[in-house]
Amino acid sequence: MHTITDNDRYNRLKKTSTIHYNMEVNQVLAEIIDDFPHQLAGMEYFYNKFRPVEEGKSLYPKDKKLIASMCIHVPVEIIHALDATAVRICSGAYSADAAGSDFLPAKICPMVKSTLGAIYLDMLPGNANPDLIINPTTCDQKKKIGELDEEIGKEFYVLEVPPSKDSEEARQYWHRSVKKMVKKIEKVTGNRLTRRKLKKSIKMISRAQAEFRRFMRLRKNAPVIYGKDAQLVTNAYFFDDIIEWTKNLSILNDELEERIKQKATVVGPRAPRILLTGSPSIFPNMRTPILVEKLGGVVVYEEFCSSSRMLSDSVAVDEWFLYDMVPAVADRYLKPSTCPNFTPNDDRIRKILLAMKDYKVDGVVYQTFTGCQLYDMESRQIGQKLEKAGYPVLNVELDYNPKDSGQLTTRLEAFMESIKDNKRKK
Amino acid sequence: MQKFKIKKYIDNSNVSRFRFWIQLLSFFIFVYGGYFFIEIGSRLPMFSCPYVQGSPGGCYLIGVQHELNTTWSSIFSPRGISILKSLGIFLIFFLFLNKAWCGYVCPLGTLQDWITRLRKSLGFSFVRYGEVRFKKLKVIKYLILFLLILIPLAINNSFFGAPKLPHGMHTPFCQICPARIILPLFNGDTSQIFVDFTDRSTIIMTSLGLIVAAIFFVGSFVKKRFFCFFCPMSALQFLFSKIGFLRLIKDGDKCTRCGNCSRVCDVGITAIADDILSKNIVKDDCMMCFKCVEACPEEGALKVKVVSFDLFSATEEGFFKRYGQDKDYEGPKK
Repeated sequence: MHTITDNDRYNRLKKTSTIHYNMEVNQVLAEIIDDFPHQLAGMEYFYNKFRPVEEGKSLYPKDKKLIASMCIHVPVEIIHALDATAVRICSGAYSADAAGSDFLPAKICPMVKSTLGAIYLDMLPGNANPDLIINPTTCDQKKKIGELDEEIGKEFYVLEVPPSKDSEEARQYWHRSVKKMVKKIEKVTGNRLTRRKLKKSIKMISRAQAEFRRFMRLRKNAPVIYGKDAQLVTNAYFFDDIIEWTKNLSILNDELEERIKQKATVVGPRAPRILLTGSPSIFPNMRTPILVEKLGGVVVYEEFCSSSRMLSDSVAVDEWFLYDMVPAVADRYLKPSTCPNFTPNDDRIRKILLAMKDYKVDGVVYQTFTGCQLYDMESRQIGQKLEKAGYPVLNVELDYNPKDSGQLTTRLEAFMESIKDNKRKK
Repeated sequence: MQKFKIKKYIDNSNVSRFRFWIQLLSFFIFVYGGYFFIEIGSRLPMFSCPYVQGSPGGCYLIGVQHELNTTWSSIFSPRGISILKSLGIFLIFFLFLNKAWCGYVCPLGTLQDWITRLRKSLGFSFVRYGEVRFKKLKVIKYLILFLLILIPLAINNSFFGAPKLPHGMHTPFCQICPARIILPLFNGDTSQIFVDFTDRSTIIMTSLGLIVAAIFFVGSFVKKRFFCFFCPMSALQFLFSKIGFLRLIKDGDKCTRCGNCSRVCDVGITAIADDILSKNIVKDDCMMCFKCVEACPEEGALKVKVVSFDLFSATEEGFFKRYGQDKDYEGPKK
């Protein structure tokens, strides 16, 4: 008689989930690429980054350790400086959601569930097989999944992030926490952090940031790129080789500059310019930007930890020695962060208000994942302040399940129509 | 169009390098200029110390201590007008550069920056004051300023029936000022390293001076601009800083509070990053070196202005030119 062992069950789950994942990825990519006019040649590289990688193959150099991070608060400069590959593994896959749900209560944010599922089933981007997963103590749900390390069979490292960022105490705590992380990664990689290597790594990321800022500057103009494409660019940064990423973004930027000169915009001047904020859209969960843009709008700015929050802020070092570089790198991940796990978090609304002006935004779509209390709680304050400043805001709550898009579509449709109306009246 | 090009050139420039050369030049002028018959004035808003033989000018603090070394009645006589006159001369000098006198001209400040360079070349880390200590210690410079005004008056006048102070305490700040002892050394003059045994007060004051000079070297080796934090000239300048022509302006709306500016600040001012309400962001410890503007990647968040004319602004391009370039970089240029 044949009995089903745990191993069999795991393998079966993995097999079906992988099939679903590949289907999901291909479907979303097709939607992103084929359902829209105006193809950008420079986007081809980024689209290809998301295509499923064959089983057994990996995107990453084999001779390097792979350090995964679950959040933007992990100082990746340090990982690169220690000759390891850094991959951010936050997942947007619905196909990994179910596997993660087995370990967690029902009312948990789908991103956390999906990430856990993806780790468990080895469905990480580019078939990453992390030697260490760094789990910063940001939101409660994320930090608690690190406790499932034994069940999941992966090593998690808790990177302690203070709950507030303004006080000197918080900063010192964070600096010590980062120094401790350096020691841990040194142990995992067997390499030592040196002045030269860290400097090189800071400069490498600084170039990526400079290129990203150029990209964002171009988006302030009449729209020559869709938000759904822009988000794939920043999503690719999660796992791409940074030098390659920078090079390709530079090519894309050149193309966008050319399009601005030719006035080859992707939408007309009346199209509502939308700012997205809240729980981050991570590929393949691209529903909100895709819907906004199918409904005739264009996303011009994302206040997401998968986008501007990850790449805007850059390190400045006064004395290029480890004693000043490590704290400088640490500061860059703490002080300018607008993550809602910090309290107070006034910087977030200030950042959004500035973007509203700079990017000539017409309205804000605030996305909250079901079960994400932090973004949910801030949606009220932010909504009030935006409305006071005269901007329309739409709060949407969504899950990773693509089937319940109906209501989302209806609400977005009404929102976009009202903005269009307002624009027409002006 | 030409104007934009110049502005862009300035915004992209490395002000710290420029400052290094200006400081070197100023140091030369204010320590050796006298030998070349240069004369600048005796009411300067920085430590152009008259004890230095080659000094082409004088520090206003020595002037004010001499002028106040007199009785009340003479202060309120026509002689008082000369006190106001020298304050006026001090102000005229001061208004042009504002606190940049400290960051660009003062030879004692320059000397501290050189000591910092020495430390850096040896690879030693530096010390910073914590928030609480910073707040407590910054009061000292106002206290010294108050005393350097009060003591000369108390030599000639009795306050509330208290006995007058001994004459050995004349120019009390100069007696403890490290500039008096250290700067003449650059002229090969070691005569200021002495204890004046005239009477008890002079013994105390001159010994104190030697101690302060020793602390100066140790302090500025471990902490950037160690002495400036206690400098009464800095306190006096700050009283008039608001009306200076050179300004450091912040646009709080554009600030992300990333803290780059406060991290590179030699005197360790945190308000430059955290204060998003003040427009004029010159704080009392600021020496207007403008390293903060160099380290700011936010377009126009920090600006150096001459009255209302933009001289040097924080720009994305300038930031990445200064911080993002590296000869070791192996990736694509572009």
